[in-house]
Amino acid sequence: MTGKTRYFLIGSALVFFVGLSIGLVAYYGGMPQGLFASNTGPAELALVPEDAAVVAYANVKQVMSSDLRQRLRQFGGPSDEGRDEIRTSTGIDIEQDIDHVVAFMDKRQDGAPSHTTDGLVLARGRFDQGRLEAFAREKGATIEDYKGKRLIRPKAKAEETGHGSEADLEVAFLESGLVAIGPSAVVRRVIDGQGGRSRSARDNADLMKLIADQRESSFWVVGQFAAITSQAKLPQAVTDRIPPITWFSAGGHVNGGVQVMMKAETNSDEAANNLRDIVRGFVALAKLQAGNRPEAQALWPNVEMGGTGKTVSLSFGVTTQLIDVMTPKKRGSGATPKPAAPKGPETPEKPVK
Amino acid sequence: MSTMTPDMNVTVPMAGPSLAGPAIRKAPSFATAVLRVFDLSLGQMLWSRRTIFLGLVVGSPVALGLMLRILDALGFAGTIRMGGAAVTGPTVFGNMIWLLYLRFLVPVLGVFYGTSLIADEVDDKTITYLFVRPISRRAVLVGKYLAYVVTTVFVVLPSVVVLYLCVQPLGHGSLAEGFMGLLIDLGLLGVGLAAYGALFALIGAGIKHPLVVGLVFAFGWEQVALALPGYLRKFTIAYYLQALVPHVMPADGLGSALQSLFRDVPSPTMSLSAIFVVIVVCLAIAGWMVEKREYVLEQ
Repeated sequence: MTGKTRYFLIGSALVFFVGLSIGLVAYYGGMPQGLFASNTGPAELALVPEDAAVVAYANVKQVMSSDLRQRLRQFGGPSDEGRDEIRTSTGIDIEQDIDHVVAFMDKRQDGAPSHTTDGLVLARGRFDQGRLEAFAREKGATIEDYKGKRLIRPKAKAEETGHGSEADLEVAFLESGLVAIGPSAVVRRVIDGQGGRSRSARDNADLMKLIADQRESSFWVVGQFAAITSQAKLPQAVTDRIPPITWFSAGGHVNGGVQVMMKAETNSDEAANNLRDIVRGFVALAKLQAGNRPEAQALWPNVEMGGTGKTVSLSFGVTTQLIDVMTPKKRGSGATPKPAAPKGPETPEKPVK
Repeated sequence: MSTMTPDMNVTVPMAGPSLAGPAIRKAPSFATAVLRVFDLSLGQMLWSRRTIFLGLVVGSPVALGLMLRILDALGFAGTIRMGGAAVTGPTVFGNMIWLLYLRFLVPVLGVFYGTSLIADEVDDKTITYLFVRPISRRAVLVGKYLAYVVTTVFVVLPSVVVLYLCVQPLGHGSLAEGFMGLLIDLGLLGVGLAAYGALFALIGAGIKHPLVVGLVFAFGWEQVALALPGYLRKFTIAYYLQALVPHVMPADGLGSALQSLFRDVPSPTMSLSAIFVVIVVCLAIAGWMVEKREYVLEQ
């Protein structure tokens, strides 16, 4: 063997083993993950309990001002009805006052009533505490102090509705620019743990791993899949056919359209393969549906499936042009230009009188 | 085989201090002969014109990975998109393993190097020099085959590791997440190179224009058989190799759609056993053919 050959082999082996060593160090947690973990996700995660079943986030400002929302509103999608309802009952204007929200759902407690869900919404924004308290008083709400935090309890409706959960709802001013809205017990639990003594979602490595993937998303939801299926009350025949998924995450980045990324972790490689087959089937079905409308087929998003081993990931982008084509024509004048769509026989356009 | 040359290993029997007379030269063992041919062929293969091709082919995914990494570091890459959909680094890495390495690089390297193991010596009319040595013709083939495996493995696998370091962390992917997948990738690429090399060594040993036949097999037969329902796919190497890939098969066209539609995945044990059988059987038949065949050198 010549010297040149020997040097080549040694160099190649060096590159190989150095690269593998870096991967190995990362795999066994040699990288200071905890160091970065503290910066992952919104600060409100420190208030989310460690055993939260589902955690969600939405950059309200970004979503509300997005072209996508404006486009959907033109088609009669999201209306101002819900926004007005919250403004009437709490005095908070979602579009103007809130920057982002973090919501979580606790693990269902044993023996809890079936219609109750232990969850909380933490909203970060600009809140005029004095004005909101005055507004609440006008509506008949009671205001009290709990460990130095102001709590607003809306006028009890338990007798009227027969649902205790609505009567339990409280709004708490946790700190400047941060309010918590949810059942009284959960709000108080969060206030109790605010001193930093209790463990938070940041201590849950599985959860934080999924949240770390969503750094640039406008909205995301991550959690244990079992929490979703138990809440959805799916028929046994359906749940039996769903591959055993442990964790899931879904997130999206809103711009002109929306980029959606979904991820699921199964408990075995085989389950992941089954899930991939199911997803492929759904994607094929959706493509077939789009085949009926050639103008939609051209704009149909490419679905990219990925993942290794037990992980299955899926991503796709929906453009505003596709939304224009796929949404029934309901809009009025002043809409943005869109590709010409053939008139469906079921929705003939009437001449404007 | 009594002719000995000074460069071959010789053993001088030591019958005792009183033994006098000329030393008796003994032909080297099969293993020694294989190692000698391996040593000779390794340098030839590494520094041949074919290596330039190998470097270019293997260098392009690495260059692509480095470019993505640099763009990401400079803040130009933003979100990586494939077909309009935002994807993470692990998905890009998985797709590159599938599309660049498994479906293209491994069969191509197998075809170009495997078919040339014996055919090049015949074309260059240098096979005589090897066959007149006091070594088994099988040892020549096996030695050359081992040189091919080492050459390709030492070029391809480091490139995969570099690609992993460049691409995996993109789009919030983590090195830790893909490490076990990387180990499987490295193993299956090594096994794939060995399997394709053995098959094409057999084709090179027995057929006059092995390159054409090899290319037709790798990019014709294998692609068609994998897309067809039924048992034909079991007569391809890709069927067993693809069963070991830890990444999701990319949906990059009609071929992939048909493959995923009719895909039945053999178990890893079965796949590895089948690939092992392919390697051993192909090398054994190729060795037998080289041993028996009369190579006529055109003047």
